Amino acid sequence: MKYVKARPTTDLNRNTDWFTYPGVWTTYIFIIFFSWLLILSVSGCTPGMAWTIVHFSHFLVTYHFFHWMKGTPFAEDQGIYNRLTWWEQIDNGKQLTRNRKFLTVVPVVLYLIASHTTDYQHPMIFFNTVAVIVLVIAKFPNMHKVRIFGINGDM
Amino acid sequence: MITIPYLTALTTYFSYGLLFAFGQLRDFFRKFIDWWKASNLQGYAPICLGLEDFYIRRLYLRIQDCFGRPIASPPDAWFDVVERVSNDNNKTLQRTTKISRCLNLGSYNYLGFAAADEYCTPRVTETLQRYSASTCSTRMEGGTTALHVELEQVVADFVGKPAAMVTGMGYVTNSAILPVLVKHGGLIISDSLNHNSIVNGARGSGATIRVFQHNTPSHLERVLREQIAEGQPRTHRPWKKIIVVVEGIYSMEGELCKLPEIVSICKKYKAYVYLDEAHSIGAVGKTGRGVCELLGVDTADVDIMMGTFTKSFGSCGGYIAGSKELIQYLKYTCPAHLYATSISPPAAQQIISAIKVILGEDGSSRGAQKLAQIRENSNYFRSELQKMGFEVLGDNDSPVMPIMLYNPAKIPAFSRECLKQNVAVVTVAFPATPLLLARARICISAAHSREDMVKALEVISRVGDLVGIKYFPAEPKKHELVEGREKVE
Repeated sequence: MKYVKARPTTDLNRNTDWFTYPGVWTTYIFIIFFSWLLILSVSGCTPGMAWTIVHFSHFLVTYHFFHWMKGTPFAEDQGIYNRLTWWEQIDNGKQLTRNRKFLTVVPVVLYLIASHTTDYQHPMIFFNTVAVIVLVIAKFPNMHKVRIFGINGDM
Repeated sequence: MITIPYLTALTTYFSYGLLFAFGQLRDFFRKFIDWWKASNLQGYAPICLGLEDFYIRRLYLRIQDCFGRPIASPPDAWFDVVERVSNDNNKTLQRTTKISRCLNLGSYNYLGFAAADEYCTPRVTETLQRYSASTCSTRMEGGTTALHVELEQVVADFVGKPAAMVTGMGYVTNSAILPVLVKHGGLIISDSLNHNSIVNGARGSGATIRVFQHNTPSHLERVLREQIAEGQPRTHRPWKKIIVVVEGIYSMEGELCKLPEIVSICKKYKAYVYLDEAHSIGAVGKTGRGVCELLGVDTADVDIMMGTFTKSFGSCGGYIAGSKELIQYLKYTCPAHLYATSISPPAAQQIISAIKVILGEDGSSRGAQKLAQIRENSNYFRSELQKMGFEVLGDNDSPVMPIMLYNPAKIPAFSRECLKQNVAVVTVAFPATPLLLARARICISAAHSREDMVKALEVISRVGDLVGIKYFPAEPKKHELVEGREKVE
């Protein structure tokens, strides 16, 4: 039985401090892998098509939860994070930390796997490329708190 | 440092992810269905933005019956818990007239003053008849009675400081004092696991807040050096004052503060120390004077000592103890003293009588017995739980012992199973604790007898096997080892 130590963090934001505890990266990768297996077993498509579906739904889910939804799911912090998306909240807003680099690498690796297993054919490669470009640009340090054309700005 | 089995961490994240996903799905369908219904807001803004109460609506309400259970008797070692039923899957709960007699492992009843006491209760009822239930006034107007003056003197002597000030509510003591002590331009450095009252008081003060890693004096020193070198944000002027806020016993961990190191670091860098002894006053230390006595720290080195009367003294209210000048200043400026109703006279009498019992001034040795009893009880219970293979946090001598649960489904399982077997425990989850580290927090009291604790251990062991929270290997019982040796010979 393998044990890990959980050191208490200095992150006061309960919405993001869970990402600093051990085991998160592994859980994330396992969820992606098992959803690929699930899609393969439920539909009868090729492995490449399954990876494309995984990549695209990963794009939709992570874009919605990391870069679109703002604030925290509880009211105890009196709304001081109500203008920040989850991506802008993690690590107290510090850029280029290990967690952020990991989360930027995952969509790129998924893109490479999805493109390779579909042999770079149209139309899958178009959707995959659009997805990865949007996700990676959303994670740039220069995009911190930037709202293009006021989309998703404050109410 | 909490040790988690790796597989448990993975399954806990996955469980919370699943709960979150289902909650989002239900919210999506709710939004879709509500789009067709007319809104009854009539132009007013909604009270909740829709995302703020996501945790309450989709996670907390599912297991609502594990929290907020009403009780029907004083919170002694055994008490009556009112049963509740739900007809709509835990969205609302209705009280029934049935009560069950349960063993109380959740109340902060460290010295057993929560129930009727042979010395305190007659005096409290006499005070109730003499002074009536409330002073109906603030301290500045008509709310200072002879009892209040005596109480402040007794508390100051007990804690070991020249003077003290008493307020009617414990939470308010922190959240109303911190804004008075530090203002904009000052710095508050607080432990990362400090109580919500300190966090709210610090946020309300307008000072800059910095957090240091829980109970790590080396990190505190690093933060202090960095902040003193940088000065105030943007202007880089020197800080007006620096206060370091720590707690005596951390209520969610049961750990004692590393007070001697922290006090020496603060002395080196000339920062003030604010010690919140809510859980440790009256419960630890040879004569019950708290964490300073236990760890051998001179009370003159701690600048501001704060505590509450709800835990060890069986009453309500809080106090601040410090130098005479500090208390005089607070009496002119603190809103809890100027504008809030003063502490109720029977409650004040309960505190005075409890302190007299603890110090042995009532002519018996019950105080010393209670203190020895709680220390023995805590050490026995903690060591037995650890032998069974549970992961129990907290230091020796601390009466608070959290048992780690981790998975979100184990929280209601543990709580409900224990209640079925007539043991009432308190479980704590996100967001009071970090997401991964949900726990069941046990508070041992001097009123628990050896039979009570043995029964509690049996029930917890059975439920622990059923729920699967014995994360460490159990120690083999001694007589099994001896048998093995005999067989070999």
